[in-house]
Amino acid sequence: MSFERDLLAILPRLRRFAASLSRDRADGDDLCQAALERGLKARDQWQPGTRLDSWMYRIMRNLWIDEARARQRAAHTFAPEEAGAHVGHAGDRDVEAHMMLSDVDRAMQALPQEQREAIALVLVEGLSYKEAAAVLGVPMGTLTSRLVRGRGALLELMGEAA
Amino acid sequence: MTDIDEAMLIALVDGELDEVNRRRVERAVAADPALAARLTQHRSLRARLAGHYAPVAQEPVPDRLRAVLEESATVTPLVRTAPRWRNWAMGGAIAASLVLGLGLGRLSGTEPGSIGTRDGVMVAQGALATALDGQLASTQADGPIRIGLTFQRKGGGWCRSFDGAIAGVACHEGEGWQVQQALPGAGQNTAYRQASSADARVMATVDALIDGALADADREKAAQAKGWR
Repeated sequence: MSFERDLLAILPRLRRFAASLSRDRADGDDLCQAALERGLKARDQWQPGTRLDSWMYRIMRNLWIDEARARQRAAHTFAPEEAGAHVGHAGDRDVEAHMMLSDVDRAMQALPQEQREAIALVLVEGLSYKEAAAVLGVPMGTLTSRLVRGRGALLELMGEAA
Repeated sequence: MTDIDEAMLIALVDGELDEVNRRRVERAVAADPALAARLTQHRSLRARLAGHYAPVAQEPVPDRLRAVLEESATVTPLVRTAPRWRNWAMGGAIAASLVLGLGLGRLSGTEPGSIGTRDGVMVAQGALATALDGQLASTQADGPIRIGLTFQRKGGGWCRSFDGAIAGVACHEGEGWQVQQALPGAGQNTAYRQASSADARVMATVDALIDGALADADREKAAQAKGWR
């Protein structure tokens, strides 16, 4: 019961993280819902005294990776070979969705996954490098180099006016 | 540029530098306009990203996400956090019907002052009102009335379930407690306690009324401190 209450308290932040990972808000809420369900199911694995938000970020991030992989597999299966370069962004629905997006959404989506999740945790969620590296399960040096590359790409994508 | 690399610059923006390195980078930035321009870019990038997604965390959480937690809170954890209720449900059918038979008498008999009517609605009085006002489920001793669950109902307002000679649910309204449901309870003596069959019906009422999760000990205490308002 207090587990649900604690989840409810961090839910706004979880939604924000989901939004920064996902293509649009609707996808973000789908991801968020899946993460909540997974978290509730795995509640016995959470150790009281540790940070619930980090634990949920990790669950959400893993789901997001799985889902992207599945989507990519589907794209590989159904798209012709030449379309391979656009895998992950191909499809009419994507094009349509893209038109509704802001520069920020578009630029974030153009980032490789490992850069996007690092940027989302540190710049959007405000985690420290140490916390973000723990969520992602990578060494600090890996995290910081992803942050450097991701930021360089974002500045380029969003123009100097960023 | 100087020996300050991009990683140092963004570490400054992210607040990750210790005092010594922070000063070093700031000095370098002050002496190098190109570096200063790059720093400004990184600062505004961080601000723009944070600002872009910030509204998501400020808007109300969609019902469907809230519902995932509510369903979970009303179904699973009741068993985990309020085992008393489960024990009460284990009474045999014969004993239960015995209490039911006696209970109606008790409702009007042994605790005449517990429930009264005001403007056509049932209200808690006497010992029941006192228990609803002051008794915390987390700390209560074995008394004639036991408080079970505390929760907020749809549309706002606190409700509490109780058991004793009478079992049921009451919600705080205005100055007092409106009794939503009153059933023959488990009684105050141990012989009758396990015989109660009220709890399943009380639970159904709780389920129908509840908005959000059940209050834990902290929230129960805080709500009591505010006079259940």
